[in-house]
Amino acid sequence: MPDRVASSVPVPAAEGHETGHPNGAGAEVMMMLLADARLPTGAHTQSAGLEPALRGGLKPSDVPSYIKARLRTVTVVEAGAAVVARARTVDAAAGTAEQAAGLAAALRKVDAAWRARTISPALRETSVLLGRGYARLVRRLWPDSPGAAALAANGRPGRAVVLGVAAALAGLSAAQLVRLIGYDDAQTVAAATLKLEPLDPVVTIGWVMAAAADIERMVGDLAQLTEIEQIPANGAPLIEQWAEIHSVTNQRLFRA
Amino acid sequence: MPDHSTAAISTAAPTRTAGPDSARQTLRLGVAGPVGTGKSSLIALICRELAGELSLGVITNDIYTDEDARFLRSAGVLDPERIRAVETGACPHTAIRDDVTANLLAVEDLEVDFAPLDVVLVESGGDNLTATFSPALVDAQIFVLDVAGGGDVARKGGPGIGRADLLVVNKTDLGPYVGVDVPQMVADGRAARDGRPVIGLSRLDRSSIDQLTGWLRGVLAVFRSGSHIAVDPGPMAPHSHSDEGGRAHVHRHEDGTAPHGHAHAEDHEHTHA
Repeated sequence: MPDRVASSVPVPAAEGHETGHPNGAGAEVMMMLLADARLPTGAHTQSAGLEPALRGGLKPSDVPSYIKARLRTVTVVEAGAAVVARARTVDAAAGTAEQAAGLAAALRKVDAAWRARTISPALRETSVLLGRGYARLVRRLWPDSPGAAALAANGRPGRAVVLGVAAALAGLSAAQLVRLIGYDDAQTVAAATLKLEPLDPVVTIGWVMAAAADIERMVGDLAQLTEIEQIPANGAPLIEQWAEIHSVTNQRLFRA
Repeated sequence: MPDHSTAAISTAAPTRTAGPDSARQTLRLGVAGPVGTGKSSLIALICRELAGELSLGVITNDIYTDEDARFLRSAGVLDPERIRAVETGACPHTAIRDDVTANLLAVEDLEVDFAPLDVVLVESGGDNLTATFSPALVDAQIFVLDVAGGGDVARKGGPGIGRADLLVVNKTDLGPYVGVDVPQMVADGRAARDGRPVIGLSRLDRSSIDQLTGWLRGVLAVFRSGSHIAVDPGPMAPHSHSDEGGRAHVHRHEDGTAPHGHAHAEDHEHTHA
């Protein structure tokens, strides 16, 4: 076990195994950045559907169940698509120039698969908007990467594909990517609750911790996916209906 | 193991005076200031006066509603398609300053959809005296006060009052009704701004409207000449305290603010009274 503390210089990614992190030191920090609400991707405008859910009659006491419902439906679809997008990007980086050139087309197919499994146009629109925020990040952090070029060639894919590419470039494992998406979804709901139905904020932290088992179940179910056909197609009609109603509502605190 | 290593990261910062962004012809102009001071009306006024000569677009950032966007659309001064609302998740400060993503995307969309635009006006959600725009979102900004909000507000200072590109003291026609000495309030604004422009504005006062449109045309011309530098008014108000000699001095702290590469402000401004 090398002495991690003694090293005063940044550990290059290629030597990441010496830090005890199999994917490189940068990946661990990037994982934290991507999970940080301060990441500049416009996430503060989002409630993960909680605002329309509460307006639609969801009781505040049912928010923990709402989190779990998302982690078994819409969030599974997004995370599954993201894992496959990550796999395509990793393949392209490790493969021939020809495979790298085919990345844009491969990602387009993943995005189409995600769209086919996301019935609500409002949910797709929201995901595209969030995806653009992450795409800015990818373009700026990895401007010369095949992943950034493939995203640019894809126009405006949903967040799943952009996050998959970002995860590949950042060196995140598929398991980390799924955990990130599950956590982000649960914490977005929890944080939005404090704006909409204020309560002791520590309570909502407990909700996210209580969702950990569902998040890890997602990791177990999705991290091994490599093919488009394997992406789950779980739906949540009520969440989709609420999203549709919210998209034409006048007085909104959150974009979605 | 190339497949799992972290890809090399670019740390290059974009600049406002070089790179692809320098080709941008659209001036992004922020309008900030407390609730009810007349930001929407000021934008409507600019649209009414200039929509015939300039191609304009508007982004609004209401805190809770799209009231401002609807007001502007109903004012009939601009094609409603050119007016878009951005929700800020109850974070109007964040949306114009530390995470401008949602607004930037909306501005970029407007610029693409209505190219070529001359000016995009971004209206902040009405907030308090401390909210100012990041130069990453706008090239220049107007800070709006009004006489009905109290004659002493300009004297209180703050980043927007002190260092926005333009301070507007709005609704000057209401001065007699609310017991405010308008020339004094405008003079207070000038004193707080170290020579930066102040306009006392009333929609009933033609010459004040001409001053406003003249200022905007001037900023646009300077912007397009490439010599305009976007200025951050700063997150903190300058404050004053008396030294032992009884002289008040005013300074502002740069501590904790990100280094920014423009040449506008001295690190300490001392004015001895």
